Amino acid sequence: MMKTFSIGGIHPADSKISKDCRIEVLPLPSKVFISMAQHLGAPAVPVVKAGDKVKAGQVIAEPAGFISAYVHSSVSGTVKSVGPRKDIAGNNMVHVEIDVEGDEWADGIDLSDKLVTEIPEDVKAILEKIKLNGVVGLGGATFPAHVKLCPPPGKKAECLILNGAECEPYLTSDYRIMLERSREIVVGAAIMKHVLGGCRTVIGIEENKPEAIRVMSEAVAELQKSAKGYEGISVMSLKKKYPQGGEKQLIDAVMGRQVKSMGLPIDVGAVVQNVATSLAVYEAVQKNMPLVTNVLTVTGDCLPADRQHNYKFRIGMPLSYVAEYAGGVPEQAAKIISGGPMMGKAIANPDAATVKGSSSLLYLTAAQTVRQAESACIRCGKCADACPMGLEPFLLNKYARNGMMDELEENAVQDCIECGCCLYSCPANIPLLDIIRIAKGDVIRIIRGRAAQKK
Amino acid sequence: MTQTIIWTIAILTLLGVVLAVVLYLVAKKFKVEEDPRIDEVEKVLPGANCGGCGHAGCRAFAQSCVEAPNLDNNFCPVGGNDVMQKVASVLGLEVAAKEPMVAVVRCNGTCEMRPRTNEYGGYNSCRVKAALYSGDTGCAFGCLGCGDCVAACQFGAISMDPATGLPVVDEEKCTACGACVKACPKSIIELRNKGRRNMRVFVSCVNKDKGAVARKACSAACIGCGKCAKVCPFDAITVENNLAYIDFAKCKLCKKCVAECPTGAIHAVNFPVVNKPAAPAAPVQAAVPAKEAQPADQPKAKEE
Repeated sequence: MMKTFSIGGIHPADSKISKDCRIEVLPLPSKVFISMAQHLGAPAVPVVKAGDKVKAGQVIAEPAGFISAYVHSSVSGTVKSVGPRKDIAGNNMVHVEIDVEGDEWADGIDLSDKLVTEIPEDVKAILEKIKLNGVVGLGGATFPAHVKLCPPPGKKAECLILNGAECEPYLTSDYRIMLERSREIVVGAAIMKHVLGGCRTVIGIEENKPEAIRVMSEAVAELQKSAKGYEGISVMSLKKKYPQGGEKQLIDAVMGRQVKSMGLPIDVGAVVQNVATSLAVYEAVQKNMPLVTNVLTVTGDCLPADRQHNYKFRIGMPLSYVAEYAGGVPEQAAKIISGGPMMGKAIANPDAATVKGSSSLLYLTAAQTVRQAESACIRCGKCADACPMGLEPFLLNKYARNGMMDELEENAVQDCIECGCCLYSCPANIPLLDIIRIAKGDVIRIIRGRAAQKK
Repeated sequence: MTQTIIWTIAILTLLGVVLAVVLYLVAKKFKVEEDPRIDEVEKVLPGANCGGCGHAGCRAFAQSCVEAPNLDNNFCPVGGNDVMQKVASVLGLEVAAKEPMVAVVRCNGTCEMRPRTNEYGGYNSCRVKAALYSGDTGCAFGCLGCGDCVAACQFGAISMDPATGLPVVDEEKCTACGACVKACPKSIIELRNKGRRNMRVFVSCVNKDKGAVARKACSAACIGCGKCAKVCPFDAITVENNLAYIDFAKCKLCKKCVAECPTGAIHAVNFPVVNKPAAPAAPVQAAVPAKEAQPADQPKAKEE
């Protein structure tokens, strides 16, 4: 029987309209704006100033703490300014503005297509390369990859899970790289497996992507035959259910283990990385290529079939430039979303720059996005059935509206993964997630404050 | 029959007496020693339990007053100086009179001044909205208009003006408890001195963007040109991060800055109406002619 996670989940229409569109390379714009906050944690500190000449792949900002990451220039040219610019949510963030001149890459970067299958021996050197090349998790949270690959002392990784679930509707960027860069992804997986001490490695892919399952399995078989260090890697087909791509859900599906409240995946011996991260690790370690490109999907029901795209972009390209190149914003589009329709963010500022974690430009129509009026809770329990963390959103909603922090903590609001299943399933259109998300932030702050006080 | 009644009364009486003795002894044994002055102080407090003083409620405030060596760090904003005088007399301490404060909304971005750039369809709460993005206008600093401050006010002193989309403070009802200041995720509301005869001059904007950006988002924004700081004879105005701020302790209410401000971001309220145009009308008048003059002036003013 095909595996999936044990509690909750929903089945939205998968709408993978752009799944047959090959990845196209976007031409360079005249200007890019590279954000300093492209990862979870402290924003990076710029090390260039206006007037500096930079090459593509050159470091332009350094990490500002343990959980932070290097940022590289994605183009060659002249730094025009370093200063605040509005990000996708309209808030100011420091960006480095670069006027593009030619396309010259920094020294030491291998730009050839040749597949390098030999895995370097030195674990420290690999981690250093991953760190220096600014690799972050590309599954959505953009958590610095090298931090996740160094389990804290006393904890050992038993299983590396590669997340190819891509459970969000519409998105096809991971699917396309699994088809087009399958062998590179497997090499990346083998590198991470080596770093973690040679544990079992599972590439989890949902059943609605049979082509990806086939191609990835072939790539694994081929590399296992031709090179060393690829044993113990397998592809697992998973039942389609949202949010399978959630870290804790994927661990449950693949290993049958549950991460306890406020725990980390490593507590149950798991490390989860996205397939796109695996590709970035391959590029960083084997080709010395920093994370300056990624793939994003331009899609939506209101776009005709010939205007659906999967683009390889350089970070810092304005979203409006991508939209323009793809043929402009369709008239029926009422909302543009970056990320999937379940967890993505609405783009308040279309001129915002793309970042490492940008995964889509999704056009939704008014009928798809405008919320219905909220009515009273009818206590049907659909939200509790749908919650993949086993929470009771209707109860949390009540507690949150009344500011009952103790009860919120007792009912584990801090475990919410903000997947939106409760909101999706609510027949009374109660904005459950909006309210629970705020309460979760408050409760986590209280828990952290208490822990800090104890110390 | 009679027997039953007599027995019932006797047993219940006996039980009552025994339990009363037990309760008396327990109360004696486990008596909590508490300063009787706490009760006395609590009696003179307003009893709103609003938390404006920074304590969990009126009793906690009373306890803090009794325990503190002086009343310098304790102030009941709701009761004001009258109540603090009473507290001081109960405790036999001295208390200096404090200037009465009032909540001031520092955003002037009405619907006309600050055009909407997108539509917000989520839950109607400023906190939720602020956590998602910068808001439905070009200004990332201004009022979000969902009325968290209105909900936070226990005294019914704040209401939303449907015409402007901004909150309005009723000065009579405002007790300066600071609940709205805490509720506002954009930190727009400030407690300021009520001022002589309630007259106040303040910068009604918190936008820290550069002049041109702020201006594009809202025609009533402070653009940080520094004209007000230059014209102020009392050094009361500072311009930091492209935003002017008037120190209410230094301001002598001369209103020179109000006339100087090119965008009408500086407001003067409760001044007697003379022949000159009243203050609230100023922003509308100033906004139009200043448009072409400003961008050229602004960098110059900054360099100096």
